[in-house]
Amino acid sequence: MKKIVALLLTCTMLVSMAACGSKSAAAPAAEPAAEETAEAAPAAEETEAPAAEPTGPVTLNVTTTYAGNDGGAEIYQKYIAAWQDETGNTVNDASGTADETFKARVLADFEVGSEPDVLFYFNGTDSNAFVSAGKVVSIDDIRAEYPDYASNMKDSMLGASPVDGVNYSVPVNGYWEGMYVNKEVCKAAGVEIPGPDTTWEEFMTTCQAIKDAGYAPIAASLAQIPHYWFEFCIFNHTTVATHCQLPGSATDAQGQAWVDGIGDIKTLYEKGYFPDNTLSATDDETFQMFLDGKAAFLCDGSWKAGGISESAENIDNFTVTYVPGMNDRKATDMIGGLSSGYYITKKAWEDPEKRATAVAFVEYMTSDAVVSEFAQVSATALKNGAQIDESTLNSLQKDCLTLCAGATGIAPAVQDLVPQPCRVPVFDGMPNLVTGKADIAEAVQEVLDMVAAQ
Amino acid sequence: MGANIYKNKKPVFFFLIPAFTFMIIFLYYPFIQNILNSFQQIDGLGSAAKGINAPWYENYVKMVTDENMKTALFNTGWMLLATLLGQVGIAVVLAILVDNIKRGAKFFRILYFLPIVISATALGVLFNLIFLYDKGMINQFRELLGAAALIDFKDEQHGMLTLMLPVIWQYVGFYFIILITGLNNISPELYEAAAIDGASGLQRVRYISLPLLYNVICTCVVLSVTGALKVFDLPWVMFPKGMPFNSTWLTGTYMYYQAFGASNVDYSSAIAVAIVVLGVIMAKVINTVFKEKDY
Repeated sequence: MKKIVALLLTCTMLVSMAACGSKSAAAPAAEPAAEETAEAAPAAEETEAPAAEPTGPVTLNVTTTYAGNDGGAEIYQKYIAAWQDETGNTVNDASGTADETFKARVLADFEVGSEPDVLFYFNGTDSNAFVSAGKVVSIDDIRAEYPDYASNMKDSMLGASPVDGVNYSVPVNGYWEGMYVNKEVCKAAGVEIPGPDTTWEEFMTTCQAIKDAGYAPIAASLAQIPHYWFEFCIFNHTTVATHCQLPGSATDAQGQAWVDGIGDIKTLYEKGYFPDNTLSATDDETFQMFLDGKAAFLCDGSWKAGGISESAENIDNFTVTYVPGMNDRKATDMIGGLSSGYYITKKAWEDPEKRATAVAFVEYMTSDAVVSEFAQVSATALKNGAQIDESTLNSLQKDCLTLCAGATGIAPAVQDLVPQPCRVPVFDGMPNLVTGKADIAEAVQEVLDMVAAQ
Repeated sequence: MGANIYKNKKPVFFFLIPAFTFMIIFLYYPFIQNILNSFQQIDGLGSAAKGINAPWYENYVKMVTDENMKTALFNTGWMLLATLLGQVGIAVVLAILVDNIKRGAKFFRILYFLPIVISATALGVLFNLIFLYDKGMINQFRELLGAAALIDFKDEQHGMLTLMLPVIWQYVGFYFIILITGLNNISPELYEAAAIDGASGLQRVRYISLPLLYNVICTCVVLSVTGALKVFDLPWVMFPKGMPFNSTWLTGTYMYYQAFGASNVDYSSAIAVAIVVLGVIMAKVINTVFKEKDY
């Protein structure tokens, strides 16, 4: 019996040792970061240290959102492999899907001083914490030593930080939001596809005709993804110049635009233009309705063109058009922008071994050729525009290019000014707003109060 | 020396240290930190605390007045009852039935245990398709039978039932296996003696199987009650964010939403503490009500 006990204890010990061993085997990605922290400490004291060319291959710790199902993940992997082959440097890639867990990990890394050398991340309010803490280097500071840094980009489109209006990140490709159309549904309902001149009133008439024909006019889950309609309905009460401004209160002009915009969503709901189960369906379910020819319109981002191309049986049955406008907004005024970009962290910048390599890496990943491959039909900040071989595009992707070419103005999404937790009253609370269980003006004020308290 | 080496207990402690350290770092420290977090203001995962809440018990007061938390507790109560009657109840019946058949017992064991090995996320997707409004399996069957209108099984009226059915179904097999093992431990001689005395099948179940299975049932009840308090994955896949109309919140899903959806980490921590406290109380109550018996 005692032998058995001794054997058991020995096994326990061995298993524990093995567990510890496997942990350290998985750690190499994190090791350089620890070394760099030690290296960065003396460097931080001499912030004016001249840029030094690396003496040998350098290992860069890079974190991006190109992972999982992200459309750019494969292209990203291809180009980091190519960069490693060309330069002999190594990329320790810690990319992750851009969900809340990933965001938390990035923020925690900055908090504890184990941030990456180069980070591809959001440039809106999500980046406020590390920008405020001075943990990333501004493009102006980088250009002081590397004048050609991001010189292929339009400065006005780089995506300035909400903290101080300074550019810190170099974007790759952006997004736009538009209205995808199932042509067969429109044909069956005998309606014209909305175009650049379609007014909101005409759109309402179109929706009614589609509904009368037995189809759902708009595929949307108000319970889960109401934010596309939130943007456009508010945009219909603002302009390109004023859309991306937070109201001071629910009663000022901008606040009233929000209240009226959400009121328009309520009207759409009350008229029955969303699917019957819009308050209980998931986004996947309503998207499937659109693909299956049960709904005519789907308001979504430029990334959805890929999703539709992959899922549709006949891609020629789908097109994209402008969301009809009202008041001062033309239908051709779109929501869009460049919401992410490459940051160089101060830690890498102050490391003489890594500074030049980090700059070279970002320049490589934001070159015209690489950005064009990432962009496809989405927006870029390239001065020369994206170089796309149109012969490789399907009909929907070509329609996307036509849509962008016809845009008369682009306003960034106003929701990007609202931190995630503050969106709850109008996004998660949308079912209550459209059914009248909650007051729209009160919900808008609640959002603004939460933003103010941040 | 000889056997004296076994009297020295120091090596035992030495071997226990790695596992103990592991528990301290990954269980007890996070647990205590979570309690501390519930008193602080933390606005996002990965963000440092901005200070102590004013008053420090603010989150616990908020929990009492929070309508969604009330819904979560109410729904969890229903879930608790459903798991007790549905999971353990059905598992008892199935175990007794399978124990009484001579052929095919192995087949049924595998059949009932199968849902356990399927991931909850996959099950969530599966049941989403079954209960889908348009082209869902049940609505298609209804259409075949002549029903004109589709039923939205995920609306406010049907939501909780739609949520509970897969959760019950998923874990019946787990308790079934525990119970059937308990039944196998009952000596066949008892059944033989009862049969000789003229006891019917039902009487054998009533007077032999159930009393001797009592302690196993108690264990299952404690497991199901504590499990119901923290059920999360399957409900979250089927009814994210408590939809529709915040009507399907459970304590587990609401805690997750507060941390990952609303970035209200301190409040989420307070909910986690409440779940633990409720779990301990419920386990105590169950243990008191269903006191284990010595035979």
